[in-house]
Amino acid sequence: MDQLPVGINERIRHEAKVAGLRSKRKPSIEMVERRRMQLWLVVLVVMLGLGAAAVAVSMASGTAFWITGQPWILAAAAAALAIGFCLYAVEKEVHLHRLSRLLVDERVLNGAMAKRLEMNSALFNAGKALNSVLDLDEVLDAILANALVLLGGSSGSVMLLEDEEYLRVVAIRGSEIGRDTRVHVGESIAGRVVQAREPLLVTQEVIDRELSGHADRVSAPVSSMCVPLENRGQVLGVININCSDNQEFDTIDLQVLSLFAEPVAAAIAKAGLYEAERAHVAQLLDSERMKTQFVASVGHELRTPITSIRGAVAASRRDIGAEQRIELLEMIERQSGRLQTMVEEILASARVDEDAGKPVLRRVDLSALVRLAALDSSVAGRPVEVIVPTSCEVRADPEAMRRILGNLIENAHKYGAEPVRVTVQQADTHVVMSVVDQGRGVAPDDRERIFERFYRTDPNGIKPGMGLGLAIVRGLVESCGGTVWVEDAPGGGAAFRVSLRVRSNDELKEEASAQ
Amino acid sequence: MPSKPRVLVVDDEPDVLLTMRLILEAEGFTASLAADGETALRRIADEHPDVVLLDLMMPVLDGWFVLAELSQRVRRPYVVVCSAKTGDADRTRAQDLGADEYVTKPFDPEDLVALINTLLASARRPARI
Repeated sequence: MDQLPVGINERIRHEAKVAGLRSKRKPSIEMVERRRMQLWLVVLVVMLGLGAAAVAVSMASGTAFWITGQPWILAAAAAALAIGFCLYAVEKEVHLHRLSRLLVDERVLNGAMAKRLEMNSALFNAGKALNSVLDLDEVLDAILANALVLLGGSSGSVMLLEDEEYLRVVAIRGSEIGRDTRVHVGESIAGRVVQAREPLLVTQEVIDRELSGHADRVSAPVSSMCVPLENRGQVLGVININCSDNQEFDTIDLQVLSLFAEPVAAAIAKAGLYEAERAHVAQLLDSERMKTQFVASVGHELRTPITSIRGAVAASRRDIGAEQRIELLEMIERQSGRLQTMVEEILASARVDEDAGKPVLRRVDLSALVRLAALDSSVAGRPVEVIVPTSCEVRADPEAMRRILGNLIENAHKYGAEPVRVTVQQADTHVVMSVVDQGRGVAPDDRERIFERFYRTDPNGIKPGMGLGLAIVRGLVESCGGTVWVEDAPGGGAAFRVSLRVRSNDELKEEASAQ
Repeated sequence: MPSKPRVLVVDDEPDVLLTMRLILEAEGFTASLAADGETALRRIADEHPDVVLLDLMMPVLDGWFVLAELSQRVRRPYVVVCSAKTGDADRTRAQDLGADEYVTKPFDPEDLVALINTLLASARRPARI
């Protein structure tokens, strides 16, 4: 017996030869089916022919001598012919059937091969794209684009872990729904996939189970996949791919996406490292710039009073009147006081950093503190309007609050314009204190930076100062558990707002348990 | 008897103005004061000082503007820049704009007086506009 060739093409050629298909080209399924039809047609015609011949013989048996002499011989011959032909036809049919099956197999294999090629090419393209870009946003977009091509999905998203607790949608394609959505780890589909570290084929059944009780949620597509992105044993997030209508993902698709997820996670990790490195470099450059700025502004600020003091000393050695001498002594006192304040400011800003002067939080009447600060400021020639409730309790350190108010009021006078107004507004859990001036306000780009140490919006240093006042304010406000920010005041000018808590966490808990 | 040399002190810091006036007057100069660049240019035009002690960082018009304005003139006073800016770039820029001397704060008032006297004694160019 012939050894059947193992290769499918060889087998097809072999079967075609045996089945009698002599075409030079490889037979098609259609050709084979046609040949099978022809075969059975021939069988039918032959059988009918033999049947007709048999009938004709039996009818003519009475008239034709040479036939009637031995009728059984003729019948036996016809039957043998029919059986022989049938055996021939069956044998051909067996081969043709086998050939047909082989051709179907080949077509399936070719289809799968094409799909694999497409997948390989998509993976290759993705890899190329991922290796050529380092920017995380670009990487994520390239990932999604390639994943959608690869799997024929209609939309998709990448979610990355923000911290240990939350996942956030950081890239989305094909749909705008869900942009910036945050999901708790362990909750919802993506949250569970991250926790379980197992790819999930999301069917209607899964959705019904996972999202039961979330009737208000955006309806999810019927078929989608959610695969964790893991790099070196660490989960970074998930990739979600949604199916287009009238299509469904299967386990093969899930395997493909899982395969795809590996280089993707590596690329994300690489881009993340790059971003971190870039941020680090920016931070270094920033701190270098701040250091230069610090040296420049501290240098300038310290030199000016020293110039006056040395001048006063030199002048007092001259032949001058007693009154002028007193004036010079007062000047020395004033300028050395100014130096002392500067040194204290520098030390205070360093202390805020070290968290050494941790404030003692207690209930204080903010209204009273504001009135007192306004009085101090007015005495120093910086008038302040005050709009505060009769009393307003907050949790803060009174000494820290005094400095916060002093710095903000001084800042408003120095960089803004009069009238300067301090207001206090009460809400349930918070109190917002605002110091508002009528100056030009703070440019949006500077609103965060002015709270950095040594940052000055006035690079020529015409206004005196070292760029420490607001940095100290932020440090102190935060140490009191509050927040500080600046915004445009209604009608122009800057509004510095300090939000402070009315009660501590413990007090809130106590109140909650009492209720 | 020759008239007293005139010195214009330009600085936005009142205490510097005050002490320099006391010292300069005690040394036999006629001192006038300006707290910004605009006033300085007006007083230079009105009073024709022999020497200008010029701060750089000032409101309204700064010292750079004053220097640039003076550099356009054929006859101008001696200019001594007195600044807290200590960088070489600032020094070079001031000299390019025609400053005769560059003194960094805090300066010794005695040295400054000596410098003014040296400048006035030099016959490099007419001191008067």
